[in-house]
Amino acid sequence: MVHLSSFLLTKYHGGHIVIRLALGGATNRPFYRIVAAYNKRARDSKYIEQLGSYDPLPNIHNEKLVAFNYERIKYWIACGAHTTKPVATLLGLAGFFPLHPMTITEAERRQKAALTEEVKRESQEQVEQKEAL
Amino acid sequence: MAAFSFTRCLVRSYFCVKCATHVQTRLQTTTRMFCVSASRSNVPKAQFTDTEVQDILTKITGLDLTKVFRPIRQQLTPPKYKLMTDTELEEAVHKADEQAKHLLKMPPVLPERKPINDVLSEDQMLEGMDTAKYVFTDINFNVPHRERFIVVREPNGTLRKATWNERDRLIQVYFPKEGRKITPPPIFKEENLRVVFEQDRHEEALNQCVVQFEPDSAEFKNVLMLTYEDIEKHGKYDLLRSTRFFGGLAWHLVNGRRIDGLLVDMLQRDLMQDAVRLVYLFNLVHPQSESAQQAQGQQAAGLDLLKIYAQYESNRAAFIELAVQTYEQTEALSSF
Repeated sequence: MVHLSSFLLTKYHGGHIVIRLALGGATNRPFYRIVAAYNKRARDSKYIEQLGSYDPLPNIHNEKLVAFNYERIKYWIACGAHTTKPVATLLGLAGFFPLHPMTITEAERRQKAALTEEVKRESQEQVEQKEAL
Repeated sequence: MAAFSFTRCLVRSYFCVKCATHVQTRLQTTTRMFCVSASRSNVPKAQFTDTEVQDILTKITGLDLTKVFRPIRQQLTPPKYKLMTDTELEEAVHKADEQAKHLLKMPPVLPERKPINDVLSEDQMLEGMDTAKYVFTDINFNVPHRERFIVVREPNGTLRKATWNERDRLIQVYFPKEGRKITPPPIFKEENLRVVFEQDRHEEALNQCVVQFEPDSAEFKNVLMLTYEDIEKHGKYDLLRSTRFFGGLAWHLVNGRRIDGLLVDMLQRDLMQDAVRLVYLFNLVHPQSESAQQAQGQQAAGLDLLKIYAQYESNRAAFIELAVQTYEQTEALSSF
């Protein structure tokens, strides 16, 4: 049976299926489920299928665990689902999608920020050394 | 109960008769190898998975039904009594045999798994994007665990396949197996293993090890080796006798050429056939050894194998020869 998403959406006119992160967990402890849902639905409410999970807090081994069900993701994308930016970045990091341009931009921004901080620190140290002398 | 043990003895002796004829035909077909150095690899060495080797190992493991089915911790139910005819009793015994064979299935001896060092891509431009690693697992249910894609994106941008330890841990997180813990429990450290061995609880430790680790991992082999060394040192072979680890123990000792302790133990318990089989296995695995060549030359079978082994390879030759002589005398006496 071919699942074309426009045939499903008789009630949501102009909507579409998205693969996005649904937030769960507790206070100060987020946990995301990667989920295929209708666009107009609330973020955490009824979804069509869960396709994985993402734990944003690193564990003892300094790892952030992400799970993907690639077969089903392929299926939903073939049905015409869109992905949101966080899901696209995660898939890019996994190697399933090409790298998202925002990942590269963010990495460059962080490197620049780190460089400027280093330069600032070195100049401060030089000033302190001159004052000590 | 008497009928049960009688049928068991009958079954046992039938196996022994079958084996003796088998041994003779097999010896005639083994090819003779000249004395070569141990590093030559074109000598067909017997592997653990050969049907012949497995056959021998299952036979020396023995089938003590009272030990295999001894009470394990389970839920208490009141015992059920059934009234059976003789044929039904035989069938029930046969079924119990089948189940015991299933319980006695040996954990495999595989070569140690090679470490995974595959790098899928190196992206230097991503350096510094995050302080933690990202680990991506494929949670498709239809994929066997060995072929699952588990990749790690390091903070410096390299995308690599996960190491074996990481793989085991993550597969346990997403597809938990009963009895397995995510981090190996402290029983597998050497000091704790020593305590367990002093209490003679080798079998429990080995059961936990089989549940916790994969059969080709380094930790599994390490624990097995420690257990076997301890058993060999104290001569506690009987602890593992009717369990599924006996084959592995015998294989380890045969590969290390240290079957003297086990042979002596078997002879002390009057398990002549088992001792013969063990020496035959030794000759299969080390076809260049003195005893194997002499046995091949003389086409020996049965107790002669033991005598040849005692003459050429063993450290405790006197004991083995004495035991063989007493056995022959008792046989001669009983046949009159």
